[in-house]
Amino acid sequence: MFTGYSTKKRVNERYKIVGFISSGTYGRVYKAEGKNGRVGEFAIKKFKPDKEGELQYSGISQSAIREMALCTELSHPNVVHTVEIILEDKCIFIVFEYAEHDLLQIIHHHNQPQRQAIPARTIKSILYQLLQGLVYLHRNWVMHRDLKPANIMVTSAGKVKIGDLGLARLFYKPLQSLFSGDKVVVTIWYRAPELLLGSRHYTPAVDLWAVGCIFAELLSLRPIFKGEEAKMDSKKTVPFQRNQMQKIVEIMGMPSKDRWPLLSAMPEYPQLTQLAAGNARLHRPQGLEVWYQNCLKNNQYPSGSGLDTPGPEGFSLLQQLLEYDPQKRLTAENALQHPYFAVHGKPSDNCFEDSKIKYPHRRVSQEDNDIRTSSLPGTKRSGLPDDSLIGRPAKRLKEG
Amino acid sequence: MASSYWDSTQRRFWTFTKQQLALERKKLEESERNLVNMYPLPDRRHLSIYFYHQLSKMARPLVIRQQALATAQIYVRRFYLKVEIRRTNPALVLATALYLACKMEECPQHIRMVLAEARHCLDTSFNDVSKIGECEFTLISEMNSQLIIHHPYRSLAELQTQFQLTQEENALAWSIINDHYLTDLPLLHAPHVIAITAMFLAVVLKPTQGGLQMHAAGVANALQTLGNARGGSAQGTQNRVQKLVDWLAESTVDIEAVVECTQELISLYEIWESYTDKTCKDQIAKFVKARGLDK
Repeated sequence: MFTGYSTKKRVNERYKIVGFISSGTYGRVYKAEGKNGRVGEFAIKKFKPDKEGELQYSGISQSAIREMALCTELSHPNVVHTVEIILEDKCIFIVFEYAEHDLLQIIHHHNQPQRQAIPARTIKSILYQLLQGLVYLHRNWVMHRDLKPANIMVTSAGKVKIGDLGLARLFYKPLQSLFSGDKVVVTIWYRAPELLLGSRHYTPAVDLWAVGCIFAELLSLRPIFKGEEAKMDSKKTVPFQRNQMQKIVEIMGMPSKDRWPLLSAMPEYPQLTQLAAGNARLHRPQGLEVWYQNCLKNNQYPSGSGLDTPGPEGFSLLQQLLEYDPQKRLTAENALQHPYFAVHGKPSDNCFEDSKIKYPHRRVSQEDNDIRTSSLPGTKRSGLPDDSLIGRPAKRLKEG
Repeated sequence: MASSYWDSTQRRFWTFTKQQLALERKKLEESERNLVNMYPLPDRRHLSIYFYHQLSKMARPLVIRQQALATAQIYVRRFYLKVEIRRTNPALVLATALYLACKMEECPQHIRMVLAEARHCLDTSFNDVSKIGECEFTLISEMNSQLIIHHPYRSLAELQTQFQLTQEENALAWSIINDHYLTDLPLLHAPHVIAITAMFLAVVLKPTQGGLQMHAAGVANALQTLGNARGGSAQGTQNRVQKLVDWLAESTVDIEAVVECTQELISLYEIWESYTDKTCKDQIAKFVKARGLDK
């Protein structure tokens, strides 16, 4: 060891890089094929060193450590499977099973060239599988904290898999308050109201709010609460996400102390009352039920109940997921027990079953398929914007 | 919660029988026969005590919590099950284990702070964060990225409510858990077995005014009480202890395992008497200097 760290496994001996998939603040993801007897397709996530072109070991970031540890520990059919982790030449590579699709791409496909609803059965199966993965995570004391369509993978066999545990954390007995650890948690459109209101001791319920938002987005093909992110100011104080909160209130109405007893204890509660004072529209919210009925109508889901419509059960589930009070919000376990999943038979464990829709393959670009060199054009932050900077990882689609 | 331990990498890959553990170590020693013969080392438990003192010295000024310290101890123990100690610079391994454990236990420390404390407390000659950064790769690689540790502290907290332990009993049990990291017990038994052992010993021994001094004789008495639980009859013991013994006898807890843990702790307290810092320090320094491992 003291003559230097020498890797036992080498990426290029085990995998053939097919192309580049996406990049973010953490590094880059590549598509790969197995080599030397390893069969199948893989997605390899390469963490970039703290500073680009780092020639020295400088310590692994805490989030990379978390993700490595969690990926190694967890194993469930609805959580992206980690094949192995390779530490080589100051770089970390996590090798995942490959998934051809993700929910962002599926939603995108249904928006183009013209809007066409996702079959009700597909949505039900997606949600059912997603919740099973989430039950597993929560039972193992893992909060995902960044659920969004781009992070939910779907294989060509219609299996739904929760991906990207980069922000996930164990939530039993945290040594530090969960709040102090990271500045930004959960992409803003899927961020739970208690987080927007500055809660310091949040719970796995934040993941269920995100599931509610994803459910709504699968139904309407648009983000339900599409707020604009307030950026951190020069003093690095975390700003109140005023616009995002407003988007929620416009549909859901103001949260009340009756429904949410701890509301007034929220650090940003005064901001919320201010928000209401300046905006008459917030006093005449659309209401989730009206939003839901409009959505069904616009996307031509049959009214009433049945296999081809999310129906009244879908509304009831959505309403209980988008519950303001985190303590009243459905847990992942209870959500699975909801009549929505029972009334017309058990959902399929293949979300594409009985669907004739063909989804395009994941875009893989050829411009950079040398995983070992980190200084190629495009790996620098200036080359491609980070996910965090554009607020939504739709870049993958824009590239094409 | 329970389910997370049963499926954990800790249970599947890092829990051994005594025989397996002995075999692993024998294999490692055999492969390094010359080194092992050339540089004799103190009893493994003495080394563990020495390591613990070194880790505590670094941890104190950084105000690192006990649980992170415990995780670091486990990392060191796992690492030296895979890598012959005489091939390493233990000071670097300790500093790196602490650095990594702090990140895993959500109380991260800057690598430069850890380096500074290592230099200050451990009198090391390495002076570059890249040393720790590189050793981190080695540590993670040898542990196969299996970094999540289930500690007995959490089980103890549950037992405390269930059995309404007094503050003193709880403190004693807590310190017994701290002590078990000096032995191989974390590689041999599930955390809840350790927690039950610690609670049992704490209740039987009763914290005395003299503080939390544990001694072999006291633990031996406890062992006898446990023997009664195995036999199914316990007479002449106090109510509290009786209740515990009954609960143990009726529960699915492996009493043999609790006895084994107790014995392991007895021999730790016995061997502790003959511990000296200097012996460990000198014997480690011998191979580190001779082999230039501190460069």
